[in-house]
Amino acid sequence: MIYLNQAATTFPKPRCVLDAHAAALSAPPEGQFRSADMRNGNGLDRCRENLGRLLGISAVDRIFFASGATDATNALVYGLPLAEKRVLATQTEHNSVLRPLMNLTDQVGSVDIMPCDALGQVNPADVTRLLSAPSAALFVNHCSNVTGMVQDIPALSEIAHRHSALLVLDASQSAGCLPVDADAWGVDALIFTGHKALFGPQGTGGYYVRPGISLRPFRYGGTGRDSRRLTYDDGDYEYEVGTQNAPGIAALNAGVEYVLEQGVDPIHAKERRLMKALYEELAAIPGITIYGDHARCHGPLLSFNVRELTPSDVAYILSGVYGITVRAGHHCSPLIHDAMGTSERGTVRISVSNMNTEADIEALIAAVREISKSVEAAT
Amino acid sequence: MRIIDKIPSRERCAESGWYAWDLLLEQPMDDAFIRALRPLGGFVYLTMLARPFFKVESTFCFIKGLRGDDFLRVATHDDHRDELARIEAFIEVL
Repeated sequence: MIYLNQAATTFPKPRCVLDAHAAALSAPPEGQFRSADMRNGNGLDRCRENLGRLLGISAVDRIFFASGATDATNALVYGLPLAEKRVLATQTEHNSVLRPLMNLTDQVGSVDIMPCDALGQVNPADVTRLLSAPSAALFVNHCSNVTGMVQDIPALSEIAHRHSALLVLDASQSAGCLPVDADAWGVDALIFTGHKALFGPQGTGGYYVRPGISLRPFRYGGTGRDSRRLTYDDGDYEYEVGTQNAPGIAALNAGVEYVLEQGVDPIHAKERRLMKALYEELAAIPGITIYGDHARCHGPLLSFNVRELTPSDVAYILSGVYGITVRAGHHCSPLIHDAMGTSERGTVRISVSNMNTEADIEALIAAVREISKSVEAAT
Repeated sequence: MRIIDKIPSRERCAESGWYAWDLLLEQPMDDAFIRALRPLGGFVYLTMLARPFFKVESTFCFIKGLRGDDFLRVATHDDHRDELARIEAFIEVL
């Protein structure tokens, strides 16, 4: 199988991640404040420190683990002071952000959308215009999972703060494969998932909240500390409640260490080379529409369609005839398709990671070339 | 062609929100079977592929598959799930 659906979840994982997961399951459990056994230290804090290094976060004690980006986003939407307030979200957002914002109506006053162009770029001038009305927060998808467009976070952060709005950055698609510098960019909250470019297992992820920002907990429960305390009237909340997914976080830590060792810049450079080949070769095939531009879209993915076939047809053929896994449809990001002109059926998405090779790209190109020729012969 | 089982499609999201099922058949599909599906709608048959792909599409449903597979995929629009029974009846007499 040739796996070109890395934006959904990465596969394969580096060997170190598999080994770390197995080792964590085999070793005596970490205490998480519930055991007198101190031998294994605190793997959650080790992972926090590595995430801090990777994402440019110095206050690593404000990184909290969750079961993924969706869980993290729900915690932030629930907990940030957004009730009865206006929130802005970009047209490129994933449903993991859009659905909590639009359904947690007791926690969010109203949601307005910051438009993007056909490639997914949000114009800072549009954001400034929209912020003429008071807004509590901007939710921004760092890298679109449909077009690979990477937003100008420093510019959007400056605009948000000038208008007294929080900047909440969804780094699900960028953490591990694109530079992220939360402190330098003035990010107020950040969402990450463990199972994409951080190479961790599914069921891991979390969020960061800048010190000084109040966050009401989404959940309450056992923490292994001060069992006699039943309420948090003084606001000294605890956010990681219940026994955490320690083996998963150990594996996530191994993935983060792998990325730190490889270096985000070399990973990004390799993925840019693979994407350049994809863009150039696909553009040369008749009957192909590409919804992106290598010069402007710097994320490791692109969307395209083949004339006369639906995206799901193309994905079906790639899987059944060529053993190539891609994704078809709207990719859980419905609004960007209005800007792209692909609302009816969506697109075929190819996404790469540091684990893909030039041979994978060549195989995909050869397959799409054959599909295009067969469509031409049949029509 | 007897349909021996029907399972919800694993690729629900790929069918853009429609309801999809995989119909498991008693034997692999050959060229004659595929061409016999033409009356069900617009017909696309990519015979140049190493494993030819076909699709039959009407307003509220479509069928797709690969020659040589012993299953095909049927998807119907949410409001027209009765189309599945019509397609099953058609296939059973082929």
